[in-house]
Amino acid sequence: MDARAAAYGAWIAALSVLSLVCVLGIVWAEMTSVQHPEHRLVGGALIGIVLLAYSFILLFLRKGGFTGV
Amino acid sequence: MYKRVLARLLRWTLRLDVVINRVYPEDFNPLYYTGGLSNLFLTVLILSGIFLLFYYIPSFNEAYTSVEFVTAQVPYGQIIRGIHRYSSDAFMIAILLHLFRNWFTERFRFSRDEPWISGMMLLLFAGFLGVTGYVLVWDQRAELLVAMTGNALASVPGIGGWLRTMLYGAPGTTNLLLPRMLYLHVGPAVVLYIFLWWHYVRIRHPKVWPPAVWTLFSLGLILIFCSLLPAVSQSQASPVATPTRLAVDWFFLLPYVVLTYLSPLWLILLGVVIVAYGLYIPYQLPETETAMGLRDSGVAEVVDANCTGCELCYYDCPYNAIVMVPSPHPGVTKAAQARKLLAIVLESRCVECGICIGACPFEALELPRLLETDIQERVLAACRS
Repeated sequence: MDARAAAYGAWIAALSVLSLVCVLGIVWAEMTSVQHPEHRLVGGALIGIVLLAYSFILLFLRKGGFTGV
Repeated sequence: MYKRVLARLLRWTLRLDVVINRVYPEDFNPLYYTGGLSNLFLTVLILSGIFLLFYYIPSFNEAYTSVEFVTAQVPYGQIIRGIHRYSSDAFMIAILLHLFRNWFTERFRFSRDEPWISGMMLLLFAGFLGVTGYVLVWDQRAELLVAMTGNALASVPGIGGWLRTMLYGAPGTTNLLLPRMLYLHVGPAVVLYIFLWWHYVRIRHPKVWPPAVWTLFSLGLILIFCSLLPAVSQSQASPVATPTRLAVDWFFLLPYVVLTYLSPLWLILLGVVIVAYGLYIPYQLPETETAMGLRDSGVAEVVDANCTGCELCYYDCPYNAIVMVPSPHPGVTKAAQARKLLAIVLESRCVECGICIGACPFEALELPRLLETDIQERVLAACRS
Protein backbone atom coordinates (compact mmCIF):
# COMPACT_ATOMS: atom_id res chain seq x y z
CA MET A 1 0.00 0.00 0.00
CA ASP A 2 1.47 3.36 -0.97
CA ALA A 3 1.71 6.36 1.36
CA ARG A 4 -1.21 8.15 -0.30
CA ALA A 5 -3.57 5.20 0.15
CA ALA A 6 -2.33 4.75 3.74
CA ALA A 7 -3.11 8.41 4.53
CA TYR A 8 -6.62 8.11 3.16
CA GLY A 9 -7.00 4.80 5.00
CA ALA A 10 -6.10 6.54 8.26
CA TRP A 11 -8.72 9.24 7.59
CA ILE A 12 -11.31 6.56 6.82
CA ALA A 13 -10.51 4.80 10.09
CA ALA A 14 -10.77 8.07 12.03
CA LEU A 15 -14.12 8.92 10.43
CA SER A 16 -15.40 5.42 11.15
CA VAL A 17 -14.55 5.85 14.82
CA LEU A 18 -16.22 9.27 14.81
CA SER A 19 -19.32 7.70 13.24
CA LEU A 20 -19.40 5.01 15.90
CA VAL A 21 -19.18 7.61 18.67
CA CYS A 22 -22.00 9.60 17.00
CA VAL A 23 -24.17 6.49 16.76
CA LEU A 24 -23.70 5.93 20.49
CA GLY A 25 -24.69 9.58 20.98
CA ILE A 26 -27.81 9.06 18.84
CA VAL A 27 -28.82 6.08 21.00
CA TRP A 28 -28.23 8.14 24.16
CA ALA A 29 -30.25 11.07 22.76
CA GLU A 30 -33.15 8.78 21.85
CA MET A 31 -33.13 6.99 25.23
CA THR A 32 -33.20 10.27 27.16
CA SER A 33 -35.59 12.09 24.82
CA VAL A 34 -38.73 11.32 26.83
CA GLN A 35 -37.49 13.35 29.80
CA HIS A 36 -35.51 15.79 27.65
CA PRO A 37 -37.19 16.34 24.26
CA GLU A 38 -34.45 18.80 23.32
CA HIS A 39 -32.05 15.84 23.11
CA ARG A 40 -33.76 14.94 19.83
CA LEU A 41 -32.09 17.99 18.33
CA VAL A 42 -28.75 16.64 19.52
CA GLY A 43 -29.67 13.28 17.97
CA GLY A 44 -30.55 15.02 14.71
CA ALA A 45 -27.24 16.85 14.64
CA LEU A 46 -25.39 13.59 15.34
CA ILE A 47 -27.23 11.86 12.48
CA GLY A 48 -26.11 14.77 10.30
CA ILE A 49 -22.51 14.30 11.40
CA VAL A 50 -22.70 10.57 10.65
CA LEU A 51 -24.00 11.29 7.15
CA LEU A 52 -21.23 13.85 6.58
CA ALA A 53 -18.65 11.34 7.84
CA TYR A 54 -20.05 8.67 5.49
CA SER A 55 -19.86 11.09 2.56
CA PHE A 56 -16.17 11.77 3.28
CA ILE A 57 -15.51 8.05 3.80
CA LEU A 58 -16.93 7.40 0.32
CA LEU A 59 -14.79 10.20 -1.08
CA PHE A 60 -11.62 8.98 0.59
CA LEU A 61 -12.29 5.38 -0.46
CA ARG A 62 -12.31 6.67 -4.01
CA LYS A 63 -9.38 9.03 -3.70
CA GLY A 64 -7.30 6.42 -1.93
CA GLY A 65 -7.91 4.01 -4.79
CA PHE A 66 -9.87 1.49 -2.71
CA THR A 67 -12.96 1.76 -4.93
CA GLY A 68 -13.90 3.06 -8.37
CA VAL A 69 -11.81 3.62 -11.44
CA MET B 1 -20.78 43.25 -25.15
CA TYR B 2 -23.16 40.48 -24.08
CA LYS B 3 -21.05 37.91 -25.92
CA ARG B 4 -17.86 39.19 -24.26
CA VAL B 5 -19.40 38.98 -20.80
CA LEU B 6 -20.74 35.50 -21.54
CA ALA B 7 -17.33 34.38 -22.81
CA ARG B 8 -15.66 35.65 -19.64
CA LEU B 9 -18.25 33.94 -17.43
CA LEU B 10 -17.71 30.74 -19.38
CA ARG B 11 -13.95 30.93 -18.73
CA TRP B 12 -14.53 31.48 -14.99
CA THR B 13 -16.99 28.58 -14.87
CA LEU B 14 -14.53 26.23 -16.56
CA ARG B 15 -11.70 27.40 -14.27
CA LEU B 16 -13.90 26.67 -11.28
CA ASP B 17 -14.48 23.18 -12.68
CA VAL B 18 -10.73 22.66 -12.96
CA VAL B 19 -10.18 23.76 -9.35
CA ILE B 20 -12.95 21.48 -8.02
CA ASN B 21 -11.72 18.58 -10.12
CA ARG B 22 -8.37 18.83 -8.35
CA VAL B 23 -10.11 18.13 -5.04
CA TYR B 24 -12.81 15.71 -6.13
CA PRO B 25 -12.74 12.93 -8.73
CA GLU B 26 -14.36 14.31 -11.90
CA ASP B 27 -17.53 12.26 -11.56
CA PHE B 28 -17.98 13.64 -8.03
CA ASN B 29 -17.78 17.32 -9.04
CA PRO B 30 -20.92 18.80 -7.42
CA LEU B 31 -21.28 21.40 -10.18
CA TYR B 32 -21.99 18.58 -12.63
CA TYR B 33 -24.92 17.50 -10.48
CA THR B 34 -26.72 20.74 -9.65
CA GLY B 35 -29.81 19.39 -11.46
CA GLY B 36 -29.61 16.11 -9.56
CA LEU B 37 -29.15 17.97 -6.29
CA SER B 38 -32.29 20.02 -7.05
CA ASN B 39 -34.14 16.75 -7.53
CA LEU B 40 -32.79 15.41 -4.25
CA PHE B 41 -33.94 18.48 -2.32
CA LEU B 42 -37.33 18.43 -4.07
CA THR B 43 -37.80 14.81 -3.00
CA VAL B 44 -36.86 15.70 0.59
CA LEU B 45 -39.30 18.63 0.45
CA ILE B 46 -42.15 16.44 -0.80
CA LEU B 47 -41.56 13.76 1.85
CA SER B 48 -41.17 16.20 4.75
CA GLY B 49 -44.13 18.21 3.40
CA ILE B 50 -46.37 15.13 3.44
CA PHE B 51 -45.43 14.59 7.10
CA LEU B 52 -46.26 18.21 7.99
CA LEU B 53 -49.50 18.05 6.01
CA PHE B 54 -50.86 15.38 8.36
CA TYR B 55 -50.80 17.88 11.25
CA TYR B 56 -51.52 21.20 9.53
CA ILE B 57 -54.94 22.83 9.98
CA PRO B 58 -55.59 25.65 7.48
CA SER B 59 -57.63 28.07 9.57
CA PHE B 60 -56.73 31.39 11.20
CA ASN B 61 -57.37 30.03 14.68
CA GLU B 62 -55.51 26.75 14.35
CA ALA B 63 -52.84 27.12 11.67
CA TYR B 64 -50.26 28.64 14.01
CA THR B 65 -51.01 26.29 16.89
CA SER B 66 -50.92 23.24 14.60
CA VAL B 67 -47.45 24.25 13.37
CA GLU B 68 -46.35 24.85 16.96
CA PHE B 69 -47.81 21.46 17.93
CA VAL B 70 -45.72 19.70 15.26
CA THR B 71 -42.67 21.65 16.37
CA ALA B 72 -42.95 21.12 20.11
CA GLN B 73 -45.05 18.00 20.70
CA VAL B 74 -44.54 15.59 17.83
CA PRO B 75 -41.37 13.48 18.22
CA TYR B 76 -38.80 14.76 15.74
CA GLY B 77 -41.39 17.25 14.45
CA GLN B 78 -38.95 20.10 15.07
CA ILE B 79 -36.31 18.36 12.99
CA ILE B 80 -38.68 17.49 10.14
CA ARG B 81 -39.95 21.06 10.06
CA GLY B 82 -36.32 22.21 9.90
CA ILE B 83 -35.61 19.71 7.12
CA HIS B 84 -38.55 21.19 5.16
CA ARG B 85 -37.32 24.72 5.84
CA TYR B 86 -33.65 24.24 4.97
CA SER B 87 -34.30 21.88 2.04
CA SER B 88 -36.31 24.65 0.43
CA ASP B 89 -33.34 27.02 0.65
CA ALA B 90 -31.01 24.30 -0.62
CA PHE B 91 -33.47 23.64 -3.47
CA MET B 92 -33.31 27.28 -4.53
CA ILE B 93 -29.49 27.37 -4.25
CA ALA B 94 -29.19 24.23 -6.40
CA ILE B 95 -31.66 25.56 -8.99
CA LEU B 96 -29.84 28.91 -9.23
CA LEU B 97 -26.44 27.20 -9.55
CA HIS B 98 -27.92 24.97 -12.26
CA LEU B 99 -29.37 27.98 -14.07
CA PHE B 100 -26.19 30.07 -13.97
CA ARG B 101 -23.97 27.16 -14.97
CA ASN B 102 -26.14 26.32 -17.98
CA TRP B 103 -26.42 29.97 -18.89
CA PHE B 104 -22.67 30.60 -18.78
CA THR B 105 -21.85 27.38 -20.64
CA GLU B 106 -24.55 28.16 -23.24
CA ARG B 107 -26.43 24.94 -22.70
CA PHE B 108 -29.59 26.53 -23.96
CA ARG B 109 -28.81 26.34 -27.64
CA PHE B 110 -30.57 24.27 -30.31
CA SER B 111 -32.96 21.74 -28.86
CA ARG B 112 -31.94 22.67 -25.33
CA ASP B 113 -34.30 25.62 -25.39
CA GLU B 114 -37.03 23.36 -23.99
CA PRO B 115 -35.05 22.35 -20.88
CA TRP B 116 -34.20 26.03 -20.43
CA ILE B 117 -37.81 27.24 -20.68
CA SER B 118 -39.10 24.45 -18.44
CA GLY B 119 -36.27 25.21 -16.00
CA MET B 120 -37.36 28.85 -15.84
CA MET B 121 -40.90 27.70 -15.07
CA LEU B 122 -39.55 25.39 -12.34
CA LEU B 123 -37.69 28.33 -10.80
CA LEU B 124 -40.79 30.53 -10.86
CA PHE B 125 -42.98 27.85 -9.32
CA ALA B 126 -40.35 27.09 -6.69
CA GLY B 127 -40.26 30.75 -5.67
CA PHE B 128 -44.05 30.91 -5.49
CA LEU B 129 -44.17 27.72 -3.41
CA GLY B 130 -41.67 29.20 -0.97
CA VAL B 131 -43.78 32.30 -0.37
CA THR B 132 -47.02 30.33 0.09
CA GLY B 133 -45.14 28.08 2.54
CA TYR B 134 -44.24 31.08 4.68
CA VAL B 135 -47.87 32.26 4.66
CA LEU B 136 -49.13 28.87 5.88
CA VAL B 137 -47.33 29.28 9.23
CA TRP B 138 -49.63 32.26 9.89
CA ASP B 139 -47.26 34.15 12.12
CA GLN B 140 -46.54 37.88 11.93
CA ARG B 141 -44.29 37.42 8.92
CA ALA B 142 -47.09 35.59 7.11
CA GLU B 143 -49.51 38.40 7.90
CA LEU B 144 -47.05 40.96 6.56
CA LEU B 145 -46.44 38.90 3.40
CA VAL B 146 -50.17 38.70 2.75
CA ALA B 147 -50.54 42.46 3.19
CA MET B 148 -47.53 43.28 0.98
CA THR B 149 -48.55 40.84 -1.76
CA GLY B 150 -52.12 42.14 -1.70
CA ASN B 151 -50.96 45.75 -1.99
CA ALA B 152 -48.56 44.88 -4.81
CA LEU B 153 -51.27 43.09 -6.79
CA ALA B 154 -53.79 45.85 -6.14
CA SER B 155 -51.38 48.35 -7.64
CA VAL B 156 -51.67 46.77 -11.09
CA PRO B 157 -53.82 49.18 -13.10
CA GLY B 158 -57.22 47.89 -14.14
CA ILE B 159 -57.03 44.30 -12.94
CA GLY B 160 -55.24 44.73 -9.58
CA GLY B 161 -58.33 44.22 -7.41
CA TRP B 162 -59.37 41.20 -9.44
CA LEU B 163 -55.87 39.67 -9.16
CA ARG B 164 -55.90 40.07 -5.39
CA THR B 165 -59.36 38.52 -5.12
CA MET B 166 -58.29 35.63 -7.34
CA LEU B 167 -55.30 34.93 -5.11
CA TYR B 168 -56.94 35.40 -1.72
CA GLY B 169 -60.49 34.34 -2.53
CA ALA B 170 -62.03 37.62 -1.34
CA PRO B 171 -61.22 41.33 -1.40
CA GLY B 172 -60.02 41.29 2.21
CA THR B 173 -58.34 38.70 4.43
CA THR B 174 -61.00 36.05 5.04
CA ASN B 175 -61.18 32.43 6.17
CA LEU B 176 -60.70 31.43 2.54
CA LEU B 177 -57.09 32.59 2.64
CA LEU B 178 -55.26 29.71 4.33
CA PRO B 179 -57.11 26.81 2.60
CA ARG B 180 -56.34 28.62 -0.67
CA MET B 181 -52.68 29.05 0.28
CA LEU B 182 -52.49 25.39 1.28
CA TYR B 183 -53.83 24.40 -2.12
CA LEU B 184 -51.45 26.84 -3.84
CA HIS B 185 -48.57 25.32 -1.86
CA VAL B 186 -49.40 21.67 -2.60
CA GLY B 187 -50.93 21.99 -6.10
CA PRO B 188 -47.94 23.65 -7.79
CA ALA B 189 -45.65 21.12 -6.10
CA VAL B 190 -47.40 18.51 -8.25
CA VAL B 191 -47.07 20.77 -11.29
CA LEU B 192 -43.30 20.86 -10.65
CA TYR B 193 -43.14 17.20 -11.67
CA ILE B 194 -44.94 17.96 -14.93
CA PHE B 195 -42.33 20.63 -15.65
CA LEU B 196 -39.61 18.16 -14.66
CA TRP B 197 -40.95 15.70 -17.24
CA TRP B 198 -40.78 18.48 -19.85
CA HIS B 199 -37.31 19.35 -18.56
CA TYR B 200 -36.03 15.81 -19.21
CA VAL B 201 -37.99 14.75 -22.27
CA ARG B 202 -35.39 15.98 -24.77
CA ILE B 203 -32.36 14.83 -22.78
CA ARG B 204 -31.14 11.29 -23.33
CA HIS B 205 -28.94 10.86 -20.27
CA PRO B 206 -30.05 13.36 -17.63
CA LYS B 207 -28.20 13.22 -14.31
CA VAL B 208 -31.36 13.02 -12.22
CA TRP B 209 -29.63 12.13 -8.94
CA PRO B 210 -26.34 13.22 -7.37
CA PRO B 211 -23.66 10.67 -6.46
CA ALA B 212 -23.92 9.09 -3.00
CA VAL B 213 -21.13 11.34 -1.71
CA TRP B 214 -23.21 14.45 -2.33
CA THR B 215 -26.53 12.88 -1.31
CA LEU B 216 -25.07 12.01 2.10
CA PHE B 217 -23.26 15.35 2.40
CA SER B 218 -26.37 17.38 1.56
CA LEU B 219 -28.67 15.45 3.88
CA GLY B 220 -26.09 15.60 6.66
CA LEU B 221 -25.65 19.34 6.29
CA ILE B 222 -29.42 19.92 6.34
CA LEU B 223 -29.77 17.83 9.50
CA ILE B 224 -26.98 19.75 11.22
CA PHE B 225 -28.54 23.08 10.22
CA CYS B 226 -32.01 22.15 11.41
CA SER B 227 -30.60 20.92 14.71
CA LEU B 228 -28.29 23.84 15.43
CA LEU B 229 -30.59 26.55 14.00
CA PRO B 230 -34.11 25.14 14.52
CA ALA B 231 -36.86 26.53 12.31
CA VAL B 232 -39.12 28.69 14.45
CA SER B 233 -42.19 30.83 13.91
CA GLN B 234 -42.53 34.45 14.85
CA SER B 235 -45.34 35.56 17.15
CA GLN B 236 -48.83 34.54 16.08
CA ALA B 237 -50.48 36.83 13.55
CA SER B 238 -52.82 39.27 15.20
CA PRO B 239 -55.76 41.05 13.56
CA VAL B 240 -55.20 43.99 15.92
CA ALA B 241 -51.87 45.22 14.57
CA THR B 242 -50.06 44.44 11.32
CA PRO B 243 -46.31 44.02 11.89
CA THR B 244 -44.02 46.36 9.99
CA ARG B 245 -40.69 44.54 10.08
CA LEU B 246 -40.12 41.56 7.77
CA ALA B 247 -37.89 38.66 8.86
CA VAL B 248 -36.19 37.88 5.57
CA ASP B 249 -35.42 34.56 3.94
CA TRP B 250 -33.18 35.85 1.15
CA PHE B 251 -33.89 32.96 -1.19
CA PHE B 252 -37.65 33.43 -1.31
CA LEU B 253 -38.49 36.83 0.10
CA LEU B 254 -35.99 39.03 -1.73
CA PRO B 255 -38.74 40.71 -3.82
CA TYR B 256 -40.36 41.86 -0.59
CA VAL B 257 -37.09 43.52 0.45
CA VAL B 258 -36.96 45.26 -2.92
CA LEU B 259 -40.39 46.70 -2.12
CA THR B 260 -38.56 48.94 0.36
CA TYR B 261 -36.89 50.66 -2.58
CA LEU B 262 -39.38 50.26 -5.41
CA SER B 263 -43.10 50.85 -5.66
CA PRO B 264 -45.15 47.63 -6.03
CA LEU B 265 -46.00 48.40 -9.63
CA TRP B 266 -42.34 48.92 -10.55
CA LEU B 267 -41.41 45.69 -8.76
CA ILE B 268 -44.02 43.76 -10.74
CA LEU B 269 -42.77 45.33 -13.97
CA LEU B 270 -39.18 44.48 -13.02
CA GLY B 271 -40.22 40.88 -12.32
CA VAL B 272 -42.02 40.61 -15.66
CA VAL B 273 -38.97 42.01 -17.50
CA ILE B 274 -36.58 39.59 -15.72
CA VAL B 275 -38.81 36.59 -16.46
CA ALA B 276 -39.37 37.65 -20.08
CA TYR B 277 -35.62 38.14 -20.54
CA GLY B 278 -34.94 34.74 -18.96
CA LEU B 279 -37.34 33.08 -21.41
CA TYR B 280 -35.72 34.97 -24.29
CA ILE B 281 -32.13 33.94 -23.48
CA PRO B 282 -32.08 30.82 -25.72
CA TYR B 283 -33.05 32.95 -28.71
CA GLN B 284 -30.94 35.98 -27.91
CA LEU B 285 -27.72 35.54 -29.83
CA PRO B 286 -28.60 36.76 -33.33
CA GLU B 287 -25.82 34.83 -35.06
CA THR B 288 -25.98 33.38 -38.53
CA GLU B 289 -25.86 29.63 -38.87
CA THR B 290 -22.37 29.91 -40.40
CA ALA B 291 -21.08 32.03 -37.53
CA MET B 292 -22.40 29.47 -35.08
CA GLY B 293 -20.60 26.69 -36.93
CA LEU B 294 -23.83 25.01 -37.96
CA ARG B 295 -23.84 22.59 -40.83
CA ASP B 296 -26.79 22.32 -43.12
CA SER B 297 -26.52 18.56 -43.24
CA GLY B 298 -30.21 17.64 -43.10
CA VAL B 299 -32.14 15.50 -40.65
CA ALA B 300 -30.47 12.11 -40.13
CA GLU B 301 -31.95 9.31 -42.19
CA VAL B 302 -32.01 5.59 -41.44
CA VAL B 303 -30.77 3.32 -44.21
CA ASP B 304 -33.44 0.65 -43.85
CA ALA B 305 -31.42 -2.06 -45.58
CA ASN B 306 -28.49 -1.76 -43.15
CA CYS B 307 -30.19 -1.18 -39.79
CA THR B 308 -29.72 -4.14 -37.43
CA GLY B 309 -31.87 -2.73 -34.60
CA CYS B 310 -28.85 -2.77 -32.27
CA GLU B 311 -30.04 0.42 -30.48
CA LEU B 312 -26.57 2.01 -30.34
CA CYS B 313 -27.83 5.18 -32.06
CA TYR B 314 -30.86 5.22 -29.77
CA TYR B 315 -28.66 5.21 -26.66
CA ASP B 316 -26.12 7.68 -28.03
CA CYS B 317 -28.49 10.39 -29.32
CA PRO B 318 -28.36 13.10 -26.62
CA TYR B 319 -31.58 14.67 -27.89
CA ASN B 320 -33.89 11.64 -27.70
CA ALA B 321 -34.41 12.01 -31.44
CA ILE B 322 -34.21 8.29 -32.23
CA VAL B 323 -36.82 5.72 -31.22
CA MET B 324 -36.81 2.00 -31.81
CA VAL B 325 -39.93 0.38 -33.29
CA PRO B 326 -40.72 -3.27 -34.11
CA SER B 327 -39.23 -3.96 -37.52
CA PRO B 328 -41.97 -4.45 -40.16
CA HIS B 329 -39.60 -6.47 -42.37
CA PRO B 330 -36.05 -7.86 -42.27
CA GLY B 331 -33.11 -5.78 -43.48
CA VAL B 332 -31.07 -6.53 -46.56
CA THR B 333 -27.55 -6.99 -45.25
CA LYS B 334 -26.64 -10.21 -43.48
CA ALA B 335 -26.42 -8.47 -40.08
CA ALA B 336 -29.79 -6.77 -40.62
CA GLN B 337 -31.77 -9.81 -41.72
CA ALA B 338 -32.49 -11.07 -38.21
CA ARG B 339 -33.34 -7.71 -36.72
CA LYS B 340 -36.36 -7.32 -34.46
CA LEU B 341 -36.22 -3.51 -34.14
CA LEU B 342 -35.79 -0.64 -36.54
CA ALA B 343 -34.46 2.83 -35.74
CA ILE B 344 -36.68 5.79 -36.60
CA VAL B 345 -35.47 9.41 -36.51
CA LEU B 346 -37.93 11.95 -35.10
CA GLU B 347 -37.51 14.89 -37.44
CA SER B 348 -38.68 17.49 -34.94
CA ARG B 349 -36.00 16.49 -32.44
CA CYS B 350 -33.00 15.93 -34.72
CA VAL B 351 -30.41 18.71 -34.61
CA GLU B 352 -28.34 17.23 -37.46
CA CYS B 353 -25.32 16.76 -35.19
CA GLY B 354 -24.24 13.42 -36.69
CA ILE B 355 -23.60 11.68 -33.36
CA CYS B 356 -25.80 8.78 -34.48
CA ILE B 357 -23.66 8.37 -37.60
CA GLY B 358 -20.63 7.89 -35.41
CA ALA B 359 -22.54 5.50 -33.13
CA CYS B 360 -23.65 3.17 -35.93
CA PRO B 361 -21.12 0.48 -36.93
CA PHE B 362 -23.37 -0.74 -39.76
CA GLU B 363 -23.54 2.44 -41.87
CA ALA B 364 -27.27 2.46 -41.31
CA LEU B 365 -27.59 6.21 -40.73
CA GLU B 366 -26.60 9.16 -42.83
CA LEU B 367 -26.95 12.91 -43.01
CA PRO B 368 -28.42 13.42 -46.49
CA ARG B 369 -26.49 16.59 -47.26
CA LEU B 370 -23.26 15.51 -45.59
CA LEU B 371 -22.48 12.03 -46.87
CA GLU B 372 -19.29 10.11 -46.17
CA THR B 373 -18.10 10.88 -49.71
CA ASP B 374 -18.59 14.63 -49.03
CA ILE B 375 -16.44 14.38 -45.92
CA GLN B 376 -13.75 12.41 -47.74
CA GLU B 377 -13.66 15.07 -50.47
CA ARG B 378 -13.33 17.81 -47.85
CA VAL B 379 -10.55 15.96 -46.05
CA LEU B 380 -8.70 15.42 -49.31
CA ALA B 381 -9.15 19.08 -50.27
CA ALA B 382 -7.89 20.15 -46.87
CA CYS B 383 -4.86 17.87 -47.18
CA ARG B 384 -4.04 19.22 -50.63
CA SER B 385 -4.26 22.81 -49.50
